[in-house]
Amino acid sequence: MADQTPNTEPVDAAEENILLDVKNLKMFFPITEGIFSQVKGYVRAVDDVSFFIRRGETLGLVGESGCGKTTVGRCIARAYEPTGGQVLFHDNGRSVDLAQMDRKALGPYRKDIRVIFQDPYSSLNPRMTVFEIVSEVLKVNKLIPESEFEQRVAEIIQLVGLRPEYIRRYPHAFSGGERQRIVIARALVTEPRLVIADEAVSALDVSVRAQILNLMEDLRQRFDLTYLFISHDLSVIRHICDRVVVMYVGQVIEVAGVNDLFTTPQHPYTEALMSAVPILNPRQRHLQKRIRLEGEVADPSNPPSGCYFHPRCRFAEAKCAVEKPPLRKLANQDRYVACHFAEELDLQGAVMT
Amino acid sequence: MTDPLVEIKDLRIHFFTDEGVVRAVEGIDLNIKPGKTLCVVGESGSGKSVMALSLLQIIHKPGQIVDGQILYHRGRVAGGQFSQNGAVDIASLNRKGRDIRSIRGAEIAMIFQEPMTSLSPMYTVGNQVMETIRLHEKGISKKEARERAIDILRRVRIPKPERLIDEYPFRLSGGMRQRVMIAMALSCTPSLLIADEPTTALDVTTQAQILDLMLELQQEFNMAIMFITHDLGVVAEIADDVAVMYLGNVVEYSDVDTIFNAPEHPYTQALLRSIPKISATRQPLDMIEGMVPSPFRRPGGCPFHPRCTQALASCSTVVPSLTTLHENHIVRCLLHEETGEEVPRG
Repeated sequence: MADQTPNTEPVDAAEENILLDVKNLKMFFPITEGIFSQVKGYVRAVDDVSFFIRRGETLGLVGESGCGKTTVGRCIARAYEPTGGQVLFHDNGRSVDLAQMDRKALGPYRKDIRVIFQDPYSSLNPRMTVFEIVSEVLKVNKLIPESEFEQRVAEIIQLVGLRPEYIRRYPHAFSGGERQRIVIARALVTEPRLVIADEAVSALDVSVRAQILNLMEDLRQRFDLTYLFISHDLSVIRHICDRVVVMYVGQVIEVAGVNDLFTTPQHPYTEALMSAVPILNPRQRHLQKRIRLEGEVADPSNPPSGCYFHPRCRFAEAKCAVEKPPLRKLANQDRYVACHFAEELDLQGAVMT
Repeated sequence: MTDPLVEIKDLRIHFFTDEGVVRAVEGIDLNIKPGKTLCVVGESGSGKSVMALSLLQIIHKPGQIVDGQILYHRGRVAGGQFSQNGAVDIASLNRKGRDIRSIRGAEIAMIFQEPMTSLSPMYTVGNQVMETIRLHEKGISKKEARERAIDILRRVRIPKPERLIDEYPFRLSGGMRQRVMIAMALSCTPSLLIADEPTTALDVTTQAQILDLMLELQQEFNMAIMFITHDLGVVAEIADDVAVMYLGNVVEYSDVDTIFNAPEHPYTQALLRSIPKISATRQPLDMIEGMVPSPFRRPGGCPFHPRCTQALASCSTVVPSLTTLHENHIVRCLLHEETGEEVPRG
């Protein structure tokens, strides 16, 4: 697998208006044993992942826990050092490979790619005031003179819907939704190009979740932001994303526009995911034809042969156990799928409610 | 209408903390029907979990049931027969007494949200399932208990239960752990299963499997399920009846079809509007302004009035009473008090 050539046809970054191009990204975590930490194997958390993000779009990244979606986000933000592959960042006519850069060279790009984390309770330091939390990144990266911090923080705090008087308070004084607004303010204060939202609304209550989703959409339009929206919640993905990348056991199995993905999935795993979307109307319960996946998600340290999904796939044939399907572009469509039989299968989309 | 299995009457549970009294449950009236699924929905802080814990008398200090009754009709099953035992008021039982211990786990069982923290990492799966069986059925031999445990693990569709019974929980995936929890809960064939967010920590496909499994087992064991969740999608799929909670009150109660298609309480209506729809395009979501108030600052009158778009002047002072709109549809809102008739207390 390591020697596989890039399996998507090359795309012209300028023509496609691409901001970030992830190519054959790999992140392996060693499994060690004994007092000398001998490496006895690798968890292939991200295994040859390729996709791109267009400027101004919201790209969803979905998959079940352990599929590597968070790891992809962290590799792009360079919280991890990727084992292999490229993360090409195109901005202002320049292209740089973030995956290979050393820490020092990365410095100027830290402000361009920012992260919103899932849990607003653990991602804010309880000993820092809102002002300190939001201005920390400005200080560390020396982005603006310290005399302007106060004004910048007050501005951004207002933009995310909090009162500027609150900036001297500590996080404990805020509710979950308000904290998530602080996390968003911290991410946006550097005027980033790309924001990675890792399960940004999963920990919030239903009524607050709608507020934060609306806020994020509003800010995207106002600042021309690009989002990588990582989530396992398909109804949220459906609401906020333009295109969606579906991952399974460290690999991309389908990339498609959000409408296409939900109405006409092309990969059997995507179909199973869609059939698990809850139907929001009790009168339509009978419409649900749920596909029960047999067995468990494959172990990323010891994945099956061929297509990783074949042991659970109801359409699997002999070929699937031997030959790994490459992620390929479907003819005349802006979508990619990793299945030998994508064109032949007639798969069901989600029930529309 | 079938006779209820459990009748909760004007239940109040307060937590006496150093900073003040938290009125977590403030006057709940609710019936659980035998053999049916009641979904309790609400946001965090609505008191849904505390109410569930009170059914087993496992509320921790400084929490305390200060008022109300929980009448449990022992032996009333879906057929509708009474046993000679009659009704027990769980709220009045001693927390550590013999009576509640014979109900807890055996007749009313509970499964929790996080299957990893509710299973002990120190004991094998078999040990933990057998413990419940041997505790409640005196005189059962170890060998018989083991056979029963294997049988129940097979019924929750765990592959190769003979082998898995000697494994430790860390070897299992989240879905398998939740199956073990369900197996433990069902090992004594309870008449009521309380499930507190049992699928929240699971993936969508695993969640779908567990929900299907629970509904199948409900048929098989003929038990009532009280399902606590904040996920309205899950409610739409599995509920027979729904109770919507807000800040310690049930604000609306009805069958699932009415709640989703003809809700009457402004909170229920707003909640349903605020969830993203699979078919909808990128319109801004309707949202509920503000946030759930701190439990120490529970608003007077109707607790929802500061966020309610239809609030009347009197909403901030008058506590709305329960109003029956029609059979099986109860709402707690001043907007409906004139039209409906008040539920007699008793």
